[in-house]
Amino acid sequence: MSQKIIRNLRKASQVLSFGLFMYLFVQAVYLGQTPLESDLFYRLDPLIAATAMLAGRTVIAGLLYALITLVSSVLFGRVWCGWVCPMGAALAWTSPGNKSGKRKVSDKWRGVKYLALAVLIGAAVLGNQTAAVFDPISILTRTMTTAIWPALRYLAFSVEGFLYQFDALWPVLDFFNANLLLPLFQGIESVFIAAIPIALIFLVITGLNWAAERFWCRYLCPLGGMLAIPSRLALFRREVSEACIDCGLCARECPTGTINPAEDYASDPSECVVCYDCAADCPVEAITFSAHSSFSSAGKQSYDPDRRDVLKALAGTAIGVSLAGVETINRRQPDQMIRPPGATLTNFTSVCMRCGECVRVCPTQGLQPSLFEGGLQNLFTPRLVPRLGQCSYTCSACIQVCPTGAIPPISLEEKQTIPIGLASINTDRCLAWGYDTICNVCEEICPLAEKAIRLEDAQAVDIDGNPFTIKRPYVIRDLCIGCGACEYHCPVGGEAAIQVHTLPATEGFLRGI
Amino acid sequence: MSKHKKINRRDFIRTVGLTGAGIYLAGCSGKPEADLSNPAVSSSTATINPEENKPTAEPAQEEPSYGDVYLAVAHGEDPAAMAARAVAALGGMERFVSSGDDVIIKPNICTDYYTYEYAATTNPEVVAELVRMSIGAGAKRVRVMDNPFGGTSQNAYRRSGIEEAVFNAGGEMEVMNSNKFRSNPIPEGVDIKEWIFYQDILNADVVINVPIAKHHGTTGLTLGCKNLMGTILHRGQIHANIYQRIADLTSAVRPALTVVDGVRTLMDNGPTGGNLNDVKMSNTVIASADIVAADSRAAQLFGLNGADIGYITAAAAMGLGTMDLDAVKVEEFSV
Repeated sequence: MSQKIIRNLRKASQVLSFGLFMYLFVQAVYLGQTPLESDLFYRLDPLIAATAMLAGRTVIAGLLYALITLVSSVLFGRVWCGWVCPMGAALAWTSPGNKSGKRKVSDKWRGVKYLALAVLIGAAVLGNQTAAVFDPISILTRTMTTAIWPALRYLAFSVEGFLYQFDALWPVLDFFNANLLLPLFQGIESVFIAAIPIALIFLVITGLNWAAERFWCRYLCPLGGMLAIPSRLALFRREVSEACIDCGLCARECPTGTINPAEDYASDPSECVVCYDCAADCPVEAITFSAHSSFSSAGKQSYDPDRRDVLKALAGTAIGVSLAGVETINRRQPDQMIRPPGATLTNFTSVCMRCGECVRVCPTQGLQPSLFEGGLQNLFTPRLVPRLGQCSYTCSACIQVCPTGAIPPISLEEKQTIPIGLASINTDRCLAWGYDTICNVCEEICPLAEKAIRLEDAQAVDIDGNPFTIKRPYVIRDLCIGCGACEYHCPVGGEAAIQVHTLPATEGFLRGI
Repeated sequence: MSKHKKINRRDFIRTVGLTGAGIYLAGCSGKPEADLSNPAVSSSTATINPEENKPTAEPAQEEPSYGDVYLAVAHGEDPAAMAARAVAALGGMERFVSSGDDVIIKPNICTDYYTYEYAATTNPEVVAELVRMSIGAGAKRVRVMDNPFGGTSQNAYRRSGIEEAVFNAGGEMEVMNSNKFRSNPIPEGVDIKEWIFYQDILNADVVINVPIAKHHGTTGLTLGCKNLMGTILHRGQIHANIYQRIADLTSAVRPALTVVDGVRTLMDNGPTGGNLNDVKMSNTVIASADIVAADSRAAQLFGLNGADIGYITAAAAMGLGTMDLDAVKVEEFSV
């Protein structure tokens, strides 16, 4: 097969892969049915599989698909990075390109991705998954969920809202809304507390493309580092034949800058993402990717970390994990850290890999990636912010999509009985209690068949001194599951007059919640 | 060969335009238009002569009059037949819907928590029958919509059974779009003079209000007037003076016809329900052009009167209808 055709296949593969990622992303909104396998890319991600299983001290069968990716590396090198990874595709497309062939960034940086991998694995062994936020699929999902897609939605609906001012356009806009905007955005108004920081991280990663093409993939990506190791053994490897005329085109074009003119245009199979740009463009067709007769390890590179580097990284990891143990969340679960349903049943902080799928599927968008509310160790883990969206009573979307079981696979009926928090009324702010104003929205909204919020008659006096009877809400502690529907709908301004707090501690010391 | 072809502005606009047109056309091809003029539907739903549909085995009783009834109360087992007969007693759907009208039917689809058997959402057969009758009367377009407060609209539409029933009857479900809410004056409003309404509902030629009669903690019962809270934004603020404000909203929406679904009535733990033990088979459908009269009669299903419900008395005081059922022509019949 012509090298050009293979390159076109690679380009098509990237488009398809990114398209599939976006398709799964868009349809991963809970509308009464089980979403498709929206966690497909996580299941193929060996970094997630390794850290989740190590930190969770368990085998997660659904993540064993990741072996496919590892095997592909042993056979073909980093084809995941070049052909499949949607984050890699996004970074390849946003790279301005570096055709000068000059290396502005020191090759030493290439070692960082291995050290990042060492940190992730080391921390996972110690039960900590904080650094899993740097998984590339996780970064893309989180950014798409909290920043890019909501911003697109905001833009689309703002333009639509402007156009809706013109009555004549309504029929067209109705059609446009029902057939395009609604299927894409499902009418869910997304706001995210962590949106701007998450967007900035993504912008920085994208911006690094200007320092070097696919900077993230070359130097930083811990998944790239993980796949680079088996890629050393790759059965199919890039070869430059005698026909080479020393034109240097391949070295200038290589998106990972691994082709070295000083060494007869050889490349490091750990760095090559098998994009076929060099092979397709070689004027004398001197470059091929051909099978070796046996597995043999590629030579060591100057930038590969040595044992001392790895030990230093692991020591740093141990220090970091120790510091995480000093954070206050180890003593008490803060009110801002209400976890998704069922999470109290698992060792959540250790098993959650910060992938953001639960945040994506939450139909009320009450689930939010945390910033520092649960300490740095819980960065980007899901928390329910009932004032922004309740845990919908008949929804189990997060339970269905969690790839690691950090949100355990409980049934909807179980979910409806396991408390995630407890509501309490601030009688100073409550309209019925504090202002003798008729209001029982919380009682009305309470989704439980028996109503965990009930009304009692009380005597009040109106402005003219006439007594009247008013109904006041109160919470039945044994029934309340802390879904937050009351807090979300409470009509007082700002902070609700009924709020869900974390459950009363059953143990003095709640490790990582 | 690997050189990027620079794209110029003109190319960009052309590409975007063509892509957009392609998407638009693809959208057109995939979506069959609902055939509103389906003769099979319209002929079977002529509401002027409902006797045709009457079961022949009906016990002999005084033939109910058609056309000049103020408040019609149908009892029976078949929700669609009760709705059809109650509307027929008022003069048929033709009294309310003219040929070419844009009709919006507003059921109560408060949440996506439970199916209609739990009596928190309007009976789908009643809604579907109103859709059929409206189309039979010549409506150009019949839309059904609500703004659920629990769960998403799509889920609630599906779970309530209303989506399927409406679709089969030839109507369409509309997910309310936040961009179509506009501030509107309430000229007759006593407490509120302005509120944000769903503009289509105010613009529609005919609004048919189809509440389910059910228990409601704050107001006692949720009926026709209360159901109109689904047409506005900022519902929470209504609670600041809920009885008068519901009446004020009613004066702005002024549905042409109110049909109260009293087939299954939720007697306690409303408005969301969830316990079948709270559901009573009341097997009644009440229809009137007078929302206050319809609500007053529906209150009787719970052993109450219109005067017991704050927003009904407020609406009556504003002259939006009458609570005095002795003063109007009421007809009760079995179907």
